Amino acid sequence: MIDKNSRAYVFIFAFLVCAVSSFTLSLVSEALRPRQEFNADIDVKKNILKAARLQEPLPAGADGAAVARVFADKMEGVVLDLQGNVVTGRRPESLKATEALLPLYIYKDGGAPVAYVFPVEGKGLWSTVYGYLAIGADAITVRGISFYRHGETPGLGAEVEQEWFRKGFEGKKIFDVDLRRLRPVEIVKGRVVDSVPVADRDYYVDGISGATMTGRGVNAFLKERLGAYEPFLARIRRM
Amino acid sequence: MSLFGRRERDIIMEGIWHKNPITYLVMGICSALAVTVKVETAFIMALGVMFVMAFASMTVSALRHQMPVSIRIIVQILIISILVIIADQFLRAFAYDISKQMSIFVGLIITNTLVLGRTEGFALGNPPWRSFLDGFANGTGYGLVLVAVAAVRELLGNGKLAGLQIIPESLYGAGYANNGIMILAPGAFFLLGIIIWIQRAISGYREER
Repeated sequence: MIDKNSRAYVFIFAFLVCAVSSFTLSLVSEALRPRQEFNADIDVKKNILKAARLQEPLPAGADGAAVARVFADKMEGVVLDLQGNVVTGRRPESLKATEALLPLYIYKDGGAPVAYVFPVEGKGLWSTVYGYLAIGADAITVRGISFYRHGETPGLGAEVEQEWFRKGFEGKKIFDVDLRRLRPVEIVKGRVVDSVPVADRDYYVDGISGATMTGRGVNAFLKERLGAYEPFLARIRRM
Repeated sequence: MSLFGRRERDIIMEGIWHKNPITYLVMGICSALAVTVKVETAFIMALGVMFVMAFASMTVSALRHQMPVSIRIIVQILIISILVIIADQFLRAFAYDISKQMSIFVGLIITNTLVLGRTEGFALGNPPWRSFLDGFANGTGYGLVLVAVAAVRELLGNGKLAGLQIIPESLYGAGYANNGIMILAPGAFFLLGIIIWIQRAISGYREER
């Protein structure tokens, strides 16, 4: 008869339970990985389409294959270098995190560009916030923004995902035409109408109450990302 | 001994009705508040809890003679968390959008007192099949309350049921407004209280003195 409370037995039991558990988990995780990666990829594509605000929006119940089809149809993926040149022969999917190159998606409708969409990501308050920003064909006006992954507080920072907040960005400006320089759109604390003079309202967006820190994080990375894409956007403006 | 003998049927009825985990034991309330704004999330949560409870109870019961008493709680938690992660992985693979809304709540099934309560209180002293039924029945009892609360909240709070518009637009035109408190946590508190009251009135439960 084994003593079930002896130290050796407890150790062996704990070890066996852990071994079986880890094996089961890795088995499940490996088996489901392809499907999960497909879903995550579709989710990013949906997000890009959401930021670009398609003229004919995706049908509500569109499945993965439909999203991929619309995406391939409407979005042209290109790669930019830091001077804003298009790198020929490269696609955004092939980019590695270590390369000093930038992905860009051009939303075209009937051959003419409607929006330039690029990833914006950086620290919020608790987590890295991932999203996409779409700039209109004039390279000045924000067409849309969307966020798809973050670990911000539900009800507070997580509101960045919500439509009311995202809508605030639409039609705002990132470039001061009079001064001829980049002026990234910013989230204010509270409401724009309460704190920003009328002349400047094009550059500011209503904040989320209780999520000022998340807003500051978003401001910082929007500014940083817009700076990175400015060489390309400047070229578009000259055209 | 048959698969669904008298005792087995009792176990099922107790979990679902006579000793319903929410109305009788008042356990697992936090998630009942969090995921009951919409029927869809409540339903998925209910399925998750049913799956985790049934298999956690069965596994714990199967190991109950081998399990050293000194580490039994942590082993139970381990088994529960493995099952929760499996459920979460399946959601990510087959219902990605829902999993994005629910992921934190699915993870919190691990700390749902109800699951550990049944493995510790029932599975440790009963054979695997009965424990499986007990876990499943309690999960079902929990899930039914969850879906009932969610149905009322979604209907009164959003005018919808499982995503379909129930309250006609013309009524909104005539001045009807959604009840905002229903989509907030206090709405769930009121509803849970009412459901517990009704269920206890019908099942004849008396608080012991």
